[in-house]
Amino acid sequence: MSVITINNLRKEYSSKSFSKNRIIALDNVSFEVGEGEIFGLLGPNGAGKTTLVKILLGITFPTSGSGRLFDKDLNDVYIKSRLGYLPENHSFPNYFTGEQVLNYFGRLSGVNPVDLKRKTDEYLNIVGMNEWRKIKIRKYSKGMMQRIGLAQAMISNPDLIFLDEPTDGVDPIGRKEIRDVLLSLKAQGKTIFLNSHLLSEIEMICDRVAILNKGILVKEGRVEDITSTDSYSFVTSELSDEVYNALLLNYKAVIQSKSNFLVSANNLDDVNIIIDFLRKNRILIQSVAKEKITLESKFINLIEHKL
Amino acid sequence: MELITFISGIIREAFAKKIILSIFIFFSLILLFIVFAATNDSVAGMLAFLEASEGNADYRSAVIYFETAVVSKIPMFMLIAFYLIIVSSFIPSMLQKGHIDLLLSKPISRTKIIIGHLIAGTSFAFLSTLFLFGIIWIIISSKTGIWHVPFLYSVIWFTFIFLVLYSFVILIGLITKNTVLNILINLILFFPLSWIFYLLTMVTRKGEQFFSFGAVTEFIIKFFYYIFPKPWDLADICESIIKQESIASYQPIITSFLFIGIMLSLSIWYFNKKDY
Repeated sequence: MSVITINNLRKEYSSKSFSKNRIIALDNVSFEVGEGEIFGLLGPNGAGKTTLVKILLGITFPTSGSGRLFDKDLNDVYIKSRLGYLPENHSFPNYFTGEQVLNYFGRLSGVNPVDLKRKTDEYLNIVGMNEWRKIKIRKYSKGMMQRIGLAQAMISNPDLIFLDEPTDGVDPIGRKEIRDVLLSLKAQGKTIFLNSHLLSEIEMICDRVAILNKGILVKEGRVEDITSTDSYSFVTSELSDEVYNALLLNYKAVIQSKSNFLVSANNLDDVNIIIDFLRKNRILIQSVAKEKITLESKFINLIEHKL
Repeated sequence: MELITFISGIIREAFAKKIILSIFIFFSLILLFIVFAATNDSVAGMLAFLEASEGNADYRSAVIYFETAVVSKIPMFMLIAFYLIIVSSFIPSMLQKGHIDLLLSKPISRTKIIIGHLIAGTSFAFLSTLFLFGIIWIIISSKTGIWHVPFLYSVIWFTFIFLVLYSFVILIGLITKNTVLNILINLILFFPLSWIFYLLTMVTRKGEQFFSFGAVTEFIIKFFYYIFPKPWDLADICESIIKQESIASYQPIITSFLFIGIMLSLSIWYFNKKDY
């Protein structure tokens, strides 16, 4: 079942100047996010990521196109009781303590006052902020604010959580803890929509990603599919000159050393033909693996090609 | 429940920003002044003034005139302007980036947010005025022995005057997102703009015509008089009620309700279509 459905979503902003130029923040973006997925939205600054999240949450309105959350229209206010949101650069009233932040936003989210105390304790523990619960948030560090923000996004036990740069300003250990929290939410069947610049983190926890550039969806799919290539890496015993030349000429191999080379193959049949050739020539095969590139490399390739 | 939470959040903000404390200090100064001003001598002076101007007057009338002076136009302007300055920051503070996003992501409609602000601000003005006028009434009544209940109706009238102007504060706050600009625009509307058109309309009224305006000028005066809020007319009505006189015209009340309705509708319409 699709939790988020977006069809040809377009958002234009009118320029503040007297010219009639319009800025296109999103250009006919369409995709779906399934239940229980961790979905990552990537893109350089100004790509339209935050605009897209804001449209889904009813904070900004689309110029055209449509979207649905849990098969309900985006204008449906009541659907928001199933959503959690941690905005980028969030600003909680600084006269609140951490506990009061959860209390206030929990009640605004419609959490039953009887459950709120228990949930506040539970989520403050999960994000490791229990000791700081009575301290005014103006005394918090950036990382602590992110932790409280995350607890705030989870307080109503939402089915879908939007997180905009959740690990911004958080130290490596804190980032690992936040990743663990997100994975445990996924294990509970929650859907998580993640905006982040930290591609290594996205790669670690996301099931699927979409890459936006200048408002256009340039890629969307499973992380494994996006980071995989059609190259196979062979590690073998030392190649004879005859085999070496044959690999270069017949199979267009990229030789990295006398015992390591890469070949492009469209399917497993092609890979097995090379294996047969190597075995026929008494070359021992130590490993054959499909080559992968990092999400970051793929992201940079995609963005640079479009620039 | 979300609406109550939202309203309590605004009141908590007022506490946190020391607004309640500043009100307490301001009101304490007023009450101190009243304690010293409300003496038998001042009532006797008022009595002498009434006898000189109206011929016959009694002690009770003098006390009522004293009470009317307490809620006359200048104190009304000072008190309502003080409230407006205080509440002008509520909307711009809510619209801060990072805060408004969070608020709009919650299951509370934009219309409810505006209505919540209206209720919170008006409740705040009502309770503050009740506190101030309640104590003033007790001081005057206990010192003079005249317990004139209609004085307390001024709490409702002052709250109504505040509500009329606050509906404009909300609209301007939404459009400008700037506290200082919001205060300036609203104070200019309150005084001198609405004051000038109040005076000009008084002058043009039948029987009070010292000099005549041209038809076009008179139309312009009346046009602006009717579209602007009427705190000064409402203050007149408040004084009439304290003096237990009949209300000369209900027009200011009706047009004020219309003003609130239009300002509130414009605010809701603007807030509902705005991207944040």
